[in-house]
Amino acid sequence: MSENKIVTLAEDEPLNLDGGGSLSKFKTAYTTYGKLNDKKNNSILVCHALTGDQYVASDHPITKKNGWWSMVVGPDKPIDTNKFFVICPNVIGGCMGSTGPKEINPENGKEFATDFPVITIADMVRAQKLLIDYLGIEKIFCVTGGSMGGMLVLEWLSKFPEMVHSAVPIATATNHSAQNIALNELARQSIMADPNWQSGNYYHSDKKPMKGLSVARMAAHISYLSKEALQSKFGRNLQDKNSLDYSFDADFQIESYLRHQGFTFVDRFDANSYLYITRAMDYFDVSSSNNGSLIEAFKNTQSKILCVSFTSDWLYPTSENKKIVKVFNSLGLNVSFIEIETENGHDSFLLDEPKFFEAIKGFINSTFENL
Amino acid sequence: MSLINENKDFGVIAELIPNNASVIDVGCNDGSLLEYLREYKNIDGRGMEIDQKKVQLCLAKGISVIEGDADTDLYDYPDKLFDYSILTYTLQATKSPKTVMQQLVRISKKAIISFPNFGHWKIGASLLLNRKMPVSKKLSYSWHETPNLHFCTINDFIDLCEELEIKIEKKGDLSNKKLSNFSGKNFLDSYFNEVGLFLVSKD
Repeated sequence: MSENKIVTLAEDEPLNLDGGGSLSKFKTAYTTYGKLNDKKNNSILVCHALTGDQYVASDHPITKKNGWWSMVVGPDKPIDTNKFFVICPNVIGGCMGSTGPKEINPENGKEFATDFPVITIADMVRAQKLLIDYLGIEKIFCVTGGSMGGMLVLEWLSKFPEMVHSAVPIATATNHSAQNIALNELARQSIMADPNWQSGNYYHSDKKPMKGLSVARMAAHISYLSKEALQSKFGRNLQDKNSLDYSFDADFQIESYLRHQGFTFVDRFDANSYLYITRAMDYFDVSSSNNGSLIEAFKNTQSKILCVSFTSDWLYPTSENKKIVKVFNSLGLNVSFIEIETENGHDSFLLDEPKFFEAIKGFINSTFENL
Repeated sequence: MSLINENKDFGVIAELIPNNASVIDVGCNDGSLLEYLREYKNIDGRGMEIDQKKVQLCLAKGISVIEGDADTDLYDYPDKLFDYSILTYTLQATKSPKTVMQQLVRISKKAIISFPNFGHWKIGASLLLNRKMPVSKKLSYSWHETPNLHFCTINDFIDLCEELEIKIEKKGDLSNKKLSNFSGKNFLDSYFNEVGLFLVSKD
């Protein structure tokens, strides 16, 4: 169990952002598990995905559910907190305590809302680097994360290669495809089409853009599952009824399931954060500061790397992950790759996938033994 | 302790590889050859393996391994990235031995290739006498379940190297744990070596 901690970073000089502008004295909320050893060489930085947060292995304060990776991180788990010091920060732009649109802008005492600067994945990583500096760690033993978390891992490998001993990017890509961007745009438009969004200034209003955010989540949730998984879980089963209603109520189980996913999501997530973070993912291209050359982007990387993909993931498919492997191979890096067979789609990295756990555990432990 | 006594095949292969070389083992199994070469030759090793259970074993040993297929995934490596590539007992199971060999000599300065020699006298005798596909210690599958697609003899291999303008530098005799310079086809090798083992290269 870890207490949530909040630290103010960039107190002396501001964090300059890719889009121009800067953040100074910004907050980062984070959790840690296990102990940093005397050599300070056992830290693992876990990067969360779009709607994740710092509650990687402790109960979520709002949903009261287990941490999003509690099957992976913990005592005797694949990332063993008896052995490793695990750090999980909420990204900037997030809504669980790190500086983001729903936090107070120190300059005017009001919520940032849409005055919050548009940030990038690289900005998030620069902010995380300040946290790692603050914790007194010069070299992180392993940086890992899935989906957007994997993008953060790639950005770490590119921007701060000397600080990363090993890395496990999972179910991710070097940039967003047109299809990825399209899905995020659908989500953003559904939030902004909700009249309760009020151009982002809903924090003191009784009306919040819950419907828009809920639809955004529903659309995204479909993209996290595979066709096979949806079919085998729900098929055309009806929800608590024996015949069709001939109405627009949730007749099918899948409809009811998606509505539930949408409704429960709005309790724990901020609509403006959803806009900012999806934007950062769309802008992500790890080669962008190197004229589009992935080889240039990783030319100083020396880390040992394991890339993982899942067969039924159509959001960040194996082909995208193999592209990353190819770049690392071209550079002669110590890269491993494994494709886990599952029908659980993109969400697989958050689910009970024993072969995935075995791969992570084998890689991390053997890498630590050879340190 | 002699390398060769430790493990017959591994020892002969190790003799071909200088210290600190970079090596890719294609079809690396559970990574034990790479582990052996890491221990005795301090190599910088990489593996490729199609069977995921074996990929997991490699990961747990700290060996960098790509879950991949020799027929399709060697294209991902740049020219002469490795000092050595190794392909042991895999050539006959590839869809296209010819392109795999071309890829091996492209991605590495030298390639070590071993395969069961279908020209061995026992195989010939077995076919001749039993009129059945041979099953032996080195060829342990029945015809209907074998993963092996393209059997060849030592002489076939030599002919293919010639066709592809691949230079054969050395040959190995695993039963006698012996390496020697290659000087053309040899009656004794093709009849009496159960395994063909060659060091090849192409500039």
